[in-house]
Amino acid sequence: MKRFKPTLSHLSRRTFLQATAALGGASALGLRGAYAQEPEKPAEIIVRAWGGSWVDSLKAGVSDSFTKMTGIAVRHDLTEDNEIQPKVWAAVAQKRVPPIHINWDTTTNATKSALRGVTEDLSDLPNLANVTDLAKPAGLEGFPIVNTYGYVYVLAYRPAAFPDGPPKSWKDLLDPKFKGRLAFYNDGIGFHFPAQVAGGGKLEDIPGNMQPAWDFIAKMKAQQPLLGEDPDFTTWFQNGEIDAACTISTNAREARKNGVKIEWVVPEEGAKFDTDGLWIPKGLPENELYWAKQYINHALTKEAQQVWLDGLGLPGVVPGLTPPKDLVGDPSYPTTEADFQRLIRISSKIQVENESEWFSKFKAIMQG
Amino acid sequence: MRAARTAYPLTWRIMDALEGVAAAIWPARFRRATPYLMLLPAVLLVGLLVLGLIQIADASLRTLDTTTFQFSDDYSTANFRRALTEPLFLVVAQRSLVAALIVTAVTLVFAFPYAYLMVRTRSPGLRKFLLIALFLPFFIGQVVRAYGWLIILGNQGMVNEALGLVGVAPMRLIYNYPAVLFGLVQYMLPFAVLMLAPALTAIPEELEAAAGSLGANWVRTFIHVVLPLARPGFIGAGVVVLTLSLTDFAVPAILGGGSHDFIANAIYDQFFRTSDQGLGAMLALMLVALGSILVGLVFALFGAGTLAMGRSRV
Repeated sequence: MKRFKPTLSHLSRRTFLQATAALGGASALGLRGAYAQEPEKPAEIIVRAWGGSWVDSLKAGVSDSFTKMTGIAVRHDLTEDNEIQPKVWAAVAQKRVPPIHINWDTTTNATKSALRGVTEDLSDLPNLANVTDLAKPAGLEGFPIVNTYGYVYVLAYRPAAFPDGPPKSWKDLLDPKFKGRLAFYNDGIGFHFPAQVAGGGKLEDIPGNMQPAWDFIAKMKAQQPLLGEDPDFTTWFQNGEIDAACTISTNAREARKNGVKIEWVVPEEGAKFDTDGLWIPKGLPENELYWAKQYINHALTKEAQQVWLDGLGLPGVVPGLTPPKDLVGDPSYPTTEADFQRLIRISSKIQVENESEWFSKFKAIMQG
Repeated sequence: MRAARTAYPLTWRIMDALEGVAAAIWPARFRRATPYLMLLPAVLLVGLLVLGLIQIADASLRTLDTTTFQFSDDYSTANFRRALTEPLFLVVAQRSLVAALIVTAVTLVFAFPYAYLMVRTRSPGLRKFLLIALFLPFFIGQVVRAYGWLIILGNQGMVNEALGLVGVAPMRLIYNYPAVLFGLVQYMLPFAVLMLAPALTAIPEELEAAAGSLGANWVRTFIHVVLPLARPGFIGAGVVVLTLSLTDFAVPAILGGGSHDFIANAIYDQFFRTSDQGLGAMLALMLVALGSILVGLVFALFGAGTLAMGRSRV
């Protein structure tokens, strides 16, 4: 069957006018219809974010383009994720409007909020049709959170402190020459699971028997490590306070961008892989909820993810993203099955239910 | 004949009207209660604090369910038992208490000569300099000051740079317990000087001169005249420094390198890191109790010092 392919020469004036009028009418109706469905735009959307390169990347990748697309300003609230949580919980419990529209949160923290029932369901976001399995929060019904990328707690180090080559194992940090020259997160996050393996235990024993992890952490305590938060690691590397750290690769990359000679590896015992996500607290007015969802939907587009995650140097949840040039083949930017096999993933549910105990245990060892 | 009201100046009439309103709201028969009315704002403030404490006490008796992250409806003493039995809390409580005592003692030793010189100097220039040096730190917040010490004492800080000039390798001067104590003493010094200065001002210079004229050297005068008379100042300054040090958060967090936490840091962790506000509330109550017991002990043993506003046991 030969398809009819109209050309301008075949169109009579009458046909052209009829077609144009029909098209114009349809598009006008469609647009009017679309606007009629869109609720009133708020003056701004408030997104809680981490500071430094984290918020810069979000702004460049998601917020600026969202504002350009919708005309809605995006304000970034840099309250710490742990500190915004009780405020949001209290607002929802008291049926007040929450202080933020969107929380950029660790999946573990976000899961706590989901279990408490303070998160909106995001299952109806159209762009969820295009995301990988990583976007789905494990062990939760629907999409109370949308994971937006993954990250690895690598062993970052100053090459000058390892003249014989990169460290191969977390045990290499027990060398006495690193006494006082190491750093971990102050609650031990990112280190519990590799410590379990380095201490001779099995990942399958988590959470039932984590004694090997505590024994290994106790050995590490003798090295008198510094304990801090994300920004501390970058500062400590820059100020020459530490030689090695268990930290998210983004922090190490940021220090490298600032001129510090720093590398990172995934040691033979593995490194913790986790995700961050976006969620919306309950209690927003209907129109603001709609636009908050549009923001998250926009964050799941390939264009937004590419710019956002280029800044963070982390793998996203949309297929076809291109790794930043400096991270091609890097263990902190896993893309293949083989890459993921070297990483340790423990379900959010297990982490959420046991995190408090693990933090206390780590603190008890380190503060002792 | 009585003059028309309009014959009076406008300001008089306004004042009359205001007095009328005041008399309607607060009649003359209530005049004896006026001083108590002045206390009302303070009572309201304290009342709000007490309400907060009641809420904290309520939260402290509820336990966290980590499958729903909701608090129990029932009361229990589980948080109390955890606070008393978990080694972490005992370690940070002991560390906070010992640090508060050390910081109080050292601060008082440093603050006394400063306050004495400031009060007794004959040079207005020196007095002004000491006052400016005393008040300047108040304009810089505690956090900024602590970060300042990171810059000065850090691995690449000014002190290590200076040591490097004479061939000494960089050494770790921060992120340890002595650094926390040092930071606290530096923070508390102005408070102690301000509390000591009025007590020293109240000591008549003639008494010191009289002791001297009776043959006492400056050491005996200092020990037998100045120190006993300055005791109210020491007690007031001691109580303020002790309680502020015991409850401090920022200095241990910034200068302690994460492994020299105080009770306040442990409370923060429970509220904001593990979401266990019940346990956090219990620790907060126990900190309030510990501080109150310490202050009560000081008052019982030595009186309230300058905090008693001249009614203390001296």
